[in-house]
Amino acid sequence: MPTIQLFITCLTDSFFPKTGEAVVDILSRLGINVDFAPGQTCCGQPQFNAGLRKDARAVAEHTIKLFEKTQGDIVTPSGSCAHHFRHNLLELFEGDAKWHPRAEKFGKRVFEFTEYLVDHLGITDLGATWDGLLTYHPSCHTLRGLNVDKQPRTLLQNVKGATLVELPNAHECCGFGGVMSVEHPELSAEWLKRKIFNLEKTPSPTLVVTDAGCLMHILGGLKRHGKPQRVMHIAEILRNT
Amino acid sequence: MTTFRRRIRQSIENPTLQTALDNNSERRLKGKSLAFESIPDWRERRQRAHHIRADVIENLDNYLNQFITNAENNDVIVHRAKDAAEAIDIVLRISNIEHRKPLIAKSKSMVSEEIELNHALEKHGVNVIETDLGEYIVQLRKERPSHIITPAAHLKKEQVAQLFHEKLGIPYTEDIPALTATARKVLREVFLTADIGISGVNFGVAETGGICIVTNEGNGRMVASIPKTHIALMGMERLAPNLDDLALLLSLLPRSATGQKLTVYTQLIHKPMPGQTRHLIILDNGRSKLRNSPLKESLYCIRCGACLNACPVFRELSGHAYIGRNLSIAPYPGPIGSVISPGLFGENYFQLAQASSLCGACKETCPVDIDLPKLLTRVRAGEVDNGKWKVRGGLGLTWSTKLFLKTFACLATQPKLFALSQKFASLTTHLLSPRSEWMRLPAFTGWGYSKDLPRFAGKTFRERWQGMDKKIDEYTGKRVDRHESKQAEQTNLPVSPVSLSTTSLVSLFTSELSALSGNVHQTNNPTQSIIEYLLSNNIKKIYLQPNVLDETLLRQSGIDFTHEPDPTLTVGVTKACAGLAETGSVLEADEELFGSLLPEIHLAVLESKNILPSLPDAIEMTRGKNAVLITGPSRTADIEMTLTIGVHGPKEIHVFVDDSKRG
Repeated sequence: MPTIQLFITCLTDSFFPKTGEAVVDILSRLGINVDFAPGQTCCGQPQFNAGLRKDARAVAEHTIKLFEKTQGDIVTPSGSCAHHFRHNLLELFEGDAKWHPRAEKFGKRVFEFTEYLVDHLGITDLGATWDGLLTYHPSCHTLRGLNVDKQPRTLLQNVKGATLVELPNAHECCGFGGVMSVEHPELSAEWLKRKIFNLEKTPSPTLVVTDAGCLMHILGGLKRHGKPQRVMHIAEILRNT
Repeated sequence: MTTFRRRIRQSIENPTLQTALDNNSERRLKGKSLAFESIPDWRERRQRAHHIRADVIENLDNYLNQFITNAENNDVIVHRAKDAAEAIDIVLRISNIEHRKPLIAKSKSMVSEEIELNHALEKHGVNVIETDLGEYIVQLRKERPSHIITPAAHLKKEQVAQLFHEKLGIPYTEDIPALTATARKVLREVFLTADIGISGVNFGVAETGGICIVTNEGNGRMVASIPKTHIALMGMERLAPNLDDLALLLSLLPRSATGQKLTVYTQLIHKPMPGQTRHLIILDNGRSKLRNSPLKESLYCIRCGACLNACPVFRELSGHAYIGRNLSIAPYPGPIGSVISPGLFGENYFQLAQASSLCGACKETCPVDIDLPKLLTRVRAGEVDNGKWKVRGGLGLTWSTKLFLKTFACLATQPKLFALSQKFASLTTHLLSPRSEWMRLPAFTGWGYSKDLPRFAGKTFRERWQGMDKKIDEYTGKRVDRHESKQAEQTNLPVSPVSLSTTSLVSLFTSELSALSGNVHQTNNPTQSIIEYLLSNNIKKIYLQPNVLDETLLRQSGIDFTHEPDPTLTVGVTKACAGLAETGSVLEADEELFGSLLPEIHLAVLESKNILPSLPDAIEMTRGKNAVLITGPSRTADIEMTLTIGVHGPKEIHVFVDDSKRG
């Protein structure tokens, strides 16, 4: 029975703990022993992306040290945190003889949740059921950063009772972009408007994502404008049996 | 609010601009993806192109020396300019020595924008006229180009109509072909009377010393070939090691830039035209510094503009909103511009790099696979100069965001404090918003500008984890698919070596050229077929390249012809040395511009056995020559992205495929 480490991410931990519960539930049902290292906090991506590399390093070193004491693959319900661990850390520690190899070893253990299910465990049908239409927004870092797209789509296609409809211009960024959404609110607002406009072109009341950042951003936009659609993390759909 | 943000708001609030930008993005993205369908091995080509460009930048000094030696052996006068002032000085010196008060006809060159050449020349009383339709429009408006490929992408046809009405004195018309025809007429005079032609350079070829210039309208060919003096301006990094590598890069550049398999006029220039002086100015202007910095990869760029079209930021801003702290417009916009503008010109443009969600659309679309998101984060980190981390990271951020991120990082290294702050945040947000899970923050917070913020969860995941039932349920027995193959069926089929028969090459050539509104006539007697064509169109006199047609037969049929340059003739007949089936192109001697460029109708004679599959098969034939690949009639999409045929070059191209000599 394999043991995995769950990296919950700061956003899921703080805002959407139910997503985390769904992940634990799904993995446990598959016979996987889920472990949670309580010392974990944030991946440090906000600092890295903003150019505050010293601060990003401090956070990353904390996380690497913490997970070096644990066993097994590290699974996270966020494409952008997985991308940060796997790719950005190599950039962050480039030329550092001590930390680069450690970051590389750590990064290789990290998987985005749907990627882990499909590519690593070879599971494409979780026996989930759903009543109604779903549409999928591929988060930028899941899609282009990790090249993970077929995995979540296959998992959703195999949800019984659900009909997956295509979101127009699905590949476009929702405008979250971490601190960009507060540093450049005007840009962020325009992309969010377009995302919601495209969502409204589908008959689906539910938008599925693989990242808490997009979830918080798009749902925040829907709430602001009193729209009825909801945004759900894929784990919460797949948990529903 | 920063001036940059105010400028962004202005762009967003300008509906005309937004329509134009949406139009640009949508058409270009569609065009690019269609064009890439015709090269199923594009992923491999892209990686090869990346390695070619990486090799060039890595060994730039060697390639430059080789390139310069070969160019000089080709009788091209090579100048090196370390910065904008030197480059301008060289242009002025050439202008003053070789001409007095010269008229300069100029084709599009981003390097000239970078050094603000026109501005400097005008200050010295030199009359310089932009001849690319889009550049001409922005020059008349006294603006800078808003896009590196489509300079007038920000304008609607009504604005161009008003401009031409006011500046050129024509009756107001919004008819795009009529506006284009006006520019043709005005600029034709400029081409024919200009003392100097200035162009950019798309690629220099180290192995041959040749330069490659691509234009759709034909203006590049005009300015490089008609005036007695040609000055080509190139950035020092724009090299391809050899002709094969050039062929590969040319299979990606036009597809990425304009969705074309090949640009209409792809010139390969190796020496001056008869009686012409050809200068080449190679510009550094910060590139050596950039090359020795962590932003080195940005020098791989081949200036196709694809990242601008794919970028959601550019789609809101347009090139004019990419401004520095001193309000000057950055010479290069879009994702690549947000890297090279600060890379070349420093701190003034650092703020541009913060305007990105790092969504990766730029990297995905880049034909040479430049990791632009990574480079943007390097700019943000202040890693612009070579060496260790700069102390001041987070360039272009507001102080409040910086403070928040630093505090957050501090908490994130101390788990207990982190958990405590979560509790505190939860409590605060529940107090602020006791009833609703979503809070409305004021606009100045940034987040509150367009969306609500969720309350922090009453119980975080880590708290829930303590009480969670983590006992592993017995396997539920639900069906679980285990699939063996991990995405084995990649659609990337290897391309089979081309072994097409002449017949299928002719038919592919015909269908490709017809798709570009060109005409193909198959014949066993090209002279007879051309006579029939001329008589049926009531054409009495033509320009004729020597040794192409049976001149006795022409005379007998009452067709007058001349081998001398005559810009008044409407039909020119030339010989094509080769045809390219894949793109419907003909390869010709560049010198024959009175046959293939100036007339309204161009007739080319091509032997069917000389139709080759694609560019790599023909590129060797250009070695040491001045050659041009012509792919369809002259065209532009500079006004509202509307395709218009016949700008500066011919409006019609007819290729007479001679089947009589098939081996």
